[in-house]
Amino acid sequence: MNIFVRELKANLKSLIIWGVIVILFVMVGTAKFSAYYENPEMLAILDDMPKAMLAAFSLQAFNLTTISGFFGLMFTYYALMLSIAAAMWGSDIISKEERDKTVEFSLTLPVTRGRVVTAKALAALVNCLALLLITWGVSLVSARPYQPDSEFYRFVGLCMAALFIMQMLFLAVGIFLGCAMKQYRRAGSMAVSVLLGTYFLSILPGLSEDLDFVKYFTPFKYFDAGMLLRESRFDVTFVLLSLAIIVVSMAGAYLTYTQRDLYI
Amino acid sequence: MSVIEANHLTKYYGKARGIVDVSFQVDEGEIFGFIGPNGAGKSTTIRLFLSLIYPTGGSATIFGKDCIKYGPQLRQDIGYLPSDVFYYERMKVIDLLKYSASFYARDCTQRMHELADLMELELNRRIEDLSYGNKKKVGIVQGLLHQPKLLFLDEPTAGLDPLMQRKFFQLIQEENARGVTVFFSSHILGEVQRMCSRVGIIKEGRMIEIADIKTLQQNNYKKVLVEAAALDAAHFDIPGVTNLEHTNGSVRFFYKGDVNALMRTISGVTVSNVTIEEPTLEEIFMHYYE
Repeated sequence: MNIFVRELKANLKSLIIWGVIVILFVMVGTAKFSAYYENPEMLAILDDMPKAMLAAFSLQAFNLTTISGFFGLMFTYYALMLSIAAAMWGSDIISKEERDKTVEFSLTLPVTRGRVVTAKALAALVNCLALLLITWGVSLVSARPYQPDSEFYRFVGLCMAALFIMQMLFLAVGIFLGCAMKQYRRAGSMAVSVLLGTYFLSILPGLSEDLDFVKYFTPFKYFDAGMLLRESRFDVTFVLLSLAIIVVSMAGAYLTYTQRDLYI
Repeated sequence: MSVIEANHLTKYYGKARGIVDVSFQVDEGEIFGFIGPNGAGKSTTIRLFLSLIYPTGGSATIFGKDCIKYGPQLRQDIGYLPSDVFYYERMKVIDLLKYSASFYARDCTQRMHELADLMELELNRRIEDLSYGNKKKVGIVQGLLHQPKLLFLDEPTAGLDPLMQRKFFQLIQEENARGVTVFFSSHILGEVQRMCSRVGIIKEGRMIEIADIKTLQQNNYKKVLVEAAALDAAHFDIPGVTNLEHTNGSVRFFYKGDVNALMRTISGVTVSNVTIEEPTLEEIFMHYYE
């Protein structure tokens, strides 16, 4: 409990910064949406764009002149931001002890390394949840001027559930890298590199049918906002795949961290 | 009962040597000195005992229990003062100490304040604002507040002013008088000589000598100075004499062997002054490393 509380306090500043980033992003996004809102000319412009380009920016699935459609477009960027935050928190919360050389204090206390990982993982999870709630709240508030219907609220709820799973996935990967990597300085940048790498992979399946299999390797394809909007359901395969990645990453984190030398 | 025990303890960092085949025991209530130059493996040995790192070979036990398997439980009774102290920079001293105290089963509040008073620690400052010496003082309080039965001190006096050093040594001696076992690693031989009864000397990762300081001094050479009006240096060139130096009116040499033979040799001349000294730990140490 003491480690958990200390980590929450230590990470508060970072949470506030991310919260501000998300709020600004949503505000700027909504300001742009006010130009699209119920604007038929916008639709005509989009229809003229090359298909591949629309796919690259995941613009083809949504009607951007409705608030639900616009939110569907924004989903990718939300996913990117929340995942980056989660991956960085995950890797940093473990590796910072070695970076700041505090392991010689924190791990010579009467605690098991497993307990340390658990407490830190939970603290990072709470941070992720808080950032998700901020995202959810500010999304709903900024949508209010556009008279959203009940379908919109359900859609946003589903998107948040999807974002939560993605956060957990990248949090687990981040924690694993923080635990496993001896070059603790690079754990954070490695986590973000993995994340951006999989993000760029996620563009491939939209470009060609032959590249469809790539979707299994990129979490950014696990949750399709278009499907969430039209069918209101998740693809169970990808939920299970996400869970599997989380479980494997966390198991790997505990296993490596309890068995390796701490770098001092 | 031996409190600390190392059995053929070996640690390699990849191919780089940490320590090789180190075996020793430290008994309850002892202050054991652990000396060697930088990079000899002193900190590696301590970190193995604290299971911050894991051995490549051999084993380490504390209070008869394996350091890795029972590490968390053993650390309830271990205090550790590293050579460089690093704490969470943004915390206040008092919060850090309370945080540390929260991990121990016993209530540490009273002892924490006693120690903080003794070390003249300002509890309301942030760690990041403290000088090196003041951080070290936080380390001393943090390492002792849970009244450990075993202390690991890794070059503890670096950064402390002479006044604080004296207080610190007093504190360690008081702890020792209460029965606390101390493992004292240092390259400052004067303080080891003052504090410890037994020392281990480590060189390039290997323990090359473990002995009582007294025996170490007695079994070693003695420093002899003879002053006389008329001297012939050759007169003193008997078996056991080394480093013979003759300056006008005095002869200096090292002697190892039967003291009686030495006395007979000296009595053969009319002397004005004779001193026979035990070597300091420093001189013995240098001898091992040459």
